[in-house]
Amino acid sequence: MKNETIIPPEGVPVRFNVAGVGVRLGAQLIDVILTMLLILAIVIGFAFAGLGGRWLEGFAALTFFFLRVPYYILTELMWNGATLGKRMLGLRVVSSNGRSLGVYGVVARNLMKEAEVFLPMALVFTISGEDPVSGLIAGAWCLMALAIPVFNRRNQRLGDMIAGTYVIHRPEAVLLPDAAEAAQEAVAEGMFTFQTHQLEHYGAFELQTLEGIIRKLKDTKSTHRKAQEMEMLKIVEAIRKKIGYSDPVPHQDHEEFLGAFYAAQRRHLEARQLFGDKRADKFHAEKKDETAS
Amino acid sequence: MDLSGPPLIRSVRFRQEREADWKRLDDLVTRTEKNGVHSLSWAEAQSLAQLYQNASNSLSVAREISLDRGLLTYLEALVARAYLAVYAPQETLGGLFARFFTQSAPRAMRACWPHILIGFLCMFLGAAVGYGLYFQDTAWYHTFVPGGLAGGRGPGASTEYLRGVIYDEHGWAGLGSFASFLFSHNTRIAIFVFGLGAFAALPAILLTAYNGTVLGAFMALHVDRGLGWDIGGWLSIHGVTEISAICIAAGGGIRLGQAVLFPGQYTRRDALWIAGRDAVKLAIVAAIMLVAAAILEGYGRQLIQDMTARYIIGWGIGLLWLAWFVLGGRQKHTRL
Repeated sequence: MKNETIIPPEGVPVRFNVAGVGVRLGAQLIDVILTMLLILAIVIGFAFAGLGGRWLEGFAALTFFFLRVPYYILTELMWNGATLGKRMLGLRVVSSNGRSLGVYGVVARNLMKEAEVFLPMALVFTISGEDPVSGLIAGAWCLMALAIPVFNRRNQRLGDMIAGTYVIHRPEAVLLPDAAEAAQEAVAEGMFTFQTHQLEHYGAFELQTLEGIIRKLKDTKSTHRKAQEMEMLKIVEAIRKKIGYSDPVPHQDHEEFLGAFYAAQRRHLEARQLFGDKRADKFHAEKKDETAS
Repeated sequence: MDLSGPPLIRSVRFRQEREADWKRLDDLVTRTEKNGVHSLSWAEAQSLAQLYQNASNSLSVAREISLDRGLLTYLEALVARAYLAVYAPQETLGGLFARFFTQSAPRAMRACWPHILIGFLCMFLGAAVGYGLYFQDTAWYHTFVPGGLAGGRGPGASTEYLRGVIYDEHGWAGLGSFASFLFSHNTRIAIFVFGLGAFAALPAILLTAYNGTVLGAFMALHVDRGLGWDIGGWLSIHGVTEISAICIAAGGGIRLGQAVLFPGQYTRRDALWIAGRDAVKLAIVAAIMLVAAAILEGYGRQLIQDMTARYIIGWGIGLLWLAWFVLGGRQKHTRL
């Protein structure tokens, strides 16, 4: 998934996941269906009221035009950059300069949508029979309008570029318990102690992988316990070999060992980081040699 | 707290001290996402902004001191959500419309006058070419004017028939005709001319000029039959507004094309964004004018049969547009 960074006025960069072309087409489809249903309901209502013929035909075409364009603009303004379709699929329009999404951005991207998407699409459906050349041109235009978002960094349509916007996935925030805090008990009891030289092997990448494993162990149900224990044994042995931890670790203490090692390793790495020694992964020592030479 | 063990890791303490605030921010943001920022009370809205700033501070620090991935992902997402909630568009619709009509639209028109002029020039040059070529050889008429648009009015038609179309009411008036107009040829041309502008302006210029040749050949046909004054009136009543709308849309397209071709000191993307601010306003003005032209064509042309009145209404409304563009949105005192 593509990442994009926005720098808000507060100056702390915020990262977003850029929405793919597929999910955006899905949202567009939902919006088209919703507006169609609304217009159909209005027209059917008028048909029951006894109006018909040419007048109703004209009226239907008019509502289509005067509901569709404002629908996208008004919903994106009211609901903070999301039409109903985008809301359902968890998408949002954001402004790429870090300021709030302005009226200009919303209007520009949705007006260009008319020229970029709807008109050529309508042309493809209506004129391809009688006039193959214009049908082909309209088809080529449609393909190009689709190709532009596929091939650029932020999946922007032409309208997005003009408006200075792009579409992101709405971020979901779940606060997981602190893995180090959970291991506090084992650390406090002093079951396992690690020497400084034993903590020099790993970097942030290995630490965070271990964090993921510890979280998974806590979530696992008892049915999968057997397989988990096998895996845990492998990990404990690998760590012991790497850091040269000679004391045997009894079977029932594996989880505590991993927790205690995680806490000690994190304390050590964070302390090193404070002194300007950032260790990305276990190859940090070699990298340092390279830059020194 | 149990003080017997080793002291807590710095990043664990960091988290413990701030977690309550993050949770409060999380609640406020969730409520804002569901019901909008208006559902918050004054004090809550104030603390939303405050908590957002604190959280983004925390994120900045956490990125430096913490290796807890669970915490980092949470803070990243929380700050991103809070950012979206705090920097949401805050506009009232009434103010939006008022500002557009009284200020931004006429200002954009004045700022883009060279581009609009080019749009008009393309149209008139095209018209001159179409006009001249028709008098060379009437067969050119069929080259320029698509069959559906002419509606049986070609070099083969009798003068009586042409006169009949101009003065007759056999076309269906009212809403049906209004709608059919809106989706007819010219609206499509206007949308295309604007959209095509982003591709280096050339398609917009060509399309506008081509549209001009259609107009020129059409005029020439009637002038040839001695109906020049009559077709002028027939076209004037809505055409002044409608053809201007196409030229203005072309002006917007050319403005975009200029940004792509000559971005100057900006990147193309930035130049397009800057140009778009005016170009989009031109497109909206063109759309409003097209709707007005549709009303004039749907109702005015059938109701008003007197030729002089057609001229007066058509060009009078043209003057009103011009007055709006020239006089609207001027400030008495320049701001310092």
